[in-house]
Amino acid sequence: MQQYVNVTIDGAKIRAIKGTSVLDTAIEYGICIPHLCHVPFISDIGACRLCIVENVVNGRSKVTTSCTLNVEEGMVIWTNTEKIRKLRRNLAELLVAQAPNSRAIQDVAVRCGVKEVRYPFRNEDCVLCGRCIRVCEEIWQARAKGFVGRGKNRHVDYVFGVRPDFCKQCEACIQICPMTIPPCDGPIKDGEEYLCGKCEAQLMITEEMPLGSCSWCKLGEGFGCGRYVGVLK
Amino acid sequence: MPKLNSARELEHLRERLRQQRQNITKTVMVGGGTCCQASGSRAVIDAVRNELSRQGLEQTIRLCVTGCHGFCEQDPVIVIEPGNIFYCHVSPEDAFEIVYQTVMKGELIERLLYTDPVSGEKCQTETEIPFYKAQDRQVLSQNRMVDPCSIEDYIVAGGYSALARVLNNGITPDKIIKEIKESGLRGRGGGGFPTGRKWQECCEAPGDEKYVICNADEGDPGAYMDRCVLEGNPQLVLEGMMIGGRAVGAHKGYIYVRNEYPLAVEHSRTAVEQARELGLLGNNILGSSFSFDVDIARGGGAFVCGESTALMASVEGKVGEPRAKDVHTVVDGLYHKATTLNNVETWANVPSIILNGSSWFASKGTKGSKGTKILALAGRIKNTGLVEVAMGMSIHEVVFNIGGGAVDGKMIKAVQIGGPSGGCLPVEKFNLPIDFDILADAGSMVGSGGMVVMDERSCMVDVAKYFLNFLQDESCGKCVPCRLGIDRMLEIITDITEGRGKLEQLGLLEELAETVSETALCGLGKTAPNPVLTTLRYFHQEYEAHINERRCPSGVCKALITYWIDPDKCTGCGVCLRGCVHGAITGEKNQQHVIDVHLCQKCGICRSECKFDAIQVVSENEVSRCSST
Repeated sequence: MQQYVNVTIDGAKIRAIKGTSVLDTAIEYGICIPHLCHVPFISDIGACRLCIVENVVNGRSKVTTSCTLNVEEGMVIWTNTEKIRKLRRNLAELLVAQAPNSRAIQDVAVRCGVKEVRYPFRNEDCVLCGRCIRVCEEIWQARAKGFVGRGKNRHVDYVFGVRPDFCKQCEACIQICPMTIPPCDGPIKDGEEYLCGKCEAQLMITEEMPLGSCSWCKLGEGFGCGRYVGVLK
Repeated sequence: MPKLNSARELEHLRERLRQQRQNITKTVMVGGGTCCQASGSRAVIDAVRNELSRQGLEQTIRLCVTGCHGFCEQDPVIVIEPGNIFYCHVSPEDAFEIVYQTVMKGELIERLLYTDPVSGEKCQTETEIPFYKAQDRQVLSQNRMVDPCSIEDYIVAGGYSALARVLNNGITPDKIIKEIKESGLRGRGGGGFPTGRKWQECCEAPGDEKYVICNADEGDPGAYMDRCVLEGNPQLVLEGMMIGGRAVGAHKGYIYVRNEYPLAVEHSRTAVEQARELGLLGNNILGSSFSFDVDIARGGGAFVCGESTALMASVEGKVGEPRAKDVHTVVDGLYHKATTLNNVETWANVPSIILNGSSWFASKGTKGSKGTKILALAGRIKNTGLVEVAMGMSIHEVVFNIGGGAVDGKMIKAVQIGGPSGGCLPVEKFNLPIDFDILADAGSMVGSGGMVVMDERSCMVDVAKYFLNFLQDESCGKCVPCRLGIDRMLEIITDITEGRGKLEQLGLLEELAETVSETALCGLGKTAPNPVLTTLRYFHQEYEAHINERRCPSGVCKALITYWIDPDKCTGCGVCLRGCVHGAITGEKNQQHVIDVHLCQKCGICRSECKFDAIQVVSENEVSRCSST
């Protein structure tokens, strides 16, 4: 039998399924928490840190990622406070400065309120969200790739750098990768990176949206935003 | 040796060993830790041993190779008991004299005695030395008299009586936890989490299978207290772990020690084997129902594996990467079982708390921080080494009374407490006590206890850059704030040190540092910006000098300095000319020499060679002024 716990997210009293994460619960109830490394139905590692929330325990608030935090009875969560917005904006800025050539990351950055990027752009191809690795391991049970190296040298690679026989070439890793969606205006050239910021205009509720698209914005569609699935149910 | 089946048998063994040693008249104790061996104590030990056997004194005089004595500046050291005679900087050639004069005749050898650099007086005994006098040695007290490879030594010194008391006097796990709680012991590894509360939570956690882990993965630059405790007295740590295992209901323990500490690995292995032989590890320890065993897990050298979840992943054989700690490790730890993880020093404190009572332990220290703390004093001070002081002693006392103050008559500028996770405190803050909460409020932390003292020759921006460099290498790279945040902070600081900095970058640097400390996944990331934040807070004027005036006040940042020969002081001796490996110095004999700024690599060799102080470090914009005069 499914057990329930009562949590308060942004002041709303919510009856959540025990054992689910705060992020899943919030999405289920239409509360927007930006996220990047979280994909529904695979495990969470809390790498991108964009889904941070304030968890108030005994009057003290603690910043933690909502994807790794499971709901508990009486929990009080704030997802959109001044502090969280600022931290989230800084994190998104770091991400988009690293990899401006992805629509998914540009969208997330704009949604987190990044207007200008104060660091030099780097135009990297990977932000190490680990989506591909977890899909490969958990959905396809292939374990064909993983993280290699530490710190600055960390990258995604096959075992010993060679595609192993047990890679089923299902291309799930490519489909789930946030870097495979180029920005609306096409790939940005090196040295000319920018944030167009146009997507901000889409951050509103429109009633004419067809069934199956997100009720809040269309930003997440392209890269399998969790909220998209949430509304489908 | 037969296995011990009760506390009584342990006492009998202790008594028998003591009687066996009655005919030993004198003990020569030589430090044999890693730090001592680096100073050549291995040769001294061999020389003394040969000398003793040559003179046929092996039966009556005991040579005891101990762990580190703490005063690493003076290594190799020899202490002779009874008499407490302390010889420093001993060389193998001194062995004959020491054995013949001091051990046999009881005469002192003047030249080997320690000279106090402050008063200039010779100190005969160890206790007279100011370095030791101001200390309160509890955990380290046995380090100087116990051979780490001999369980007999430890038993003679009173070892395992705390364990015997716990197992045979009906002290229940609840009582142990209550005692530890009342003592106010807090984790010595860095966080300062109350140990009693951790044990309680682990004890109450569901599940039959539980683990205790000793964290000896010490990686802070300049800190080595865990290594010295584990190297010098591994049985003490083992006993602490057994008591902890009894308290939380664990039957298996792990010592996670880094492989870069070969001696610590070896000694803890020997200790475990010897304890097993005596039945102090295994089933039904001392005839009780308690069974416990310990394994050694070796770390592969990642700094991040000192973090509890990464350490547990590493013990399990996985990649040493932290995971989110929303469920604490006391509930879901090693192999997803309840696990109590404590630092070496924390475990080493446990037996004495059980033996002497919580009130004894709580009588030392401050309101929030009880007991003693081992600090590793390093940097630009006279006496470097391991120091154990009661909590609450001010930084000033540690640096000046024990450390002996600055070398070369320079001014002390700051102290970095707690390694890369700690912060730099300026001289004005030296009245602060060594206390978990107070130092945390000041932006630093007690951390594991590393204390690096810096004088006016250190540039604080460069120090922040050094620690960021270290952390960038050691970050696992899993989460964005730590991987990218540290990288960007380093980028900004490098800009500043190379003269490309802008004032608005300081605001960005501070904002970024706060973001990283709030949002990072694990303790490494959360504390990584501390060096940046504290230097920004206390040494803002140095950052401003780098940015506004393009000048490094301490003359460290290479891009901002130029070496220049003062024509008034240069005698033309040619020492710098010969010393310069880049051929940047020209000049005729007895004529003034000149440095070619385009060839100069700013290595500083010429400056250290010059006897007339003629070579000076000036900032870039001063160059034109200097050359015009």
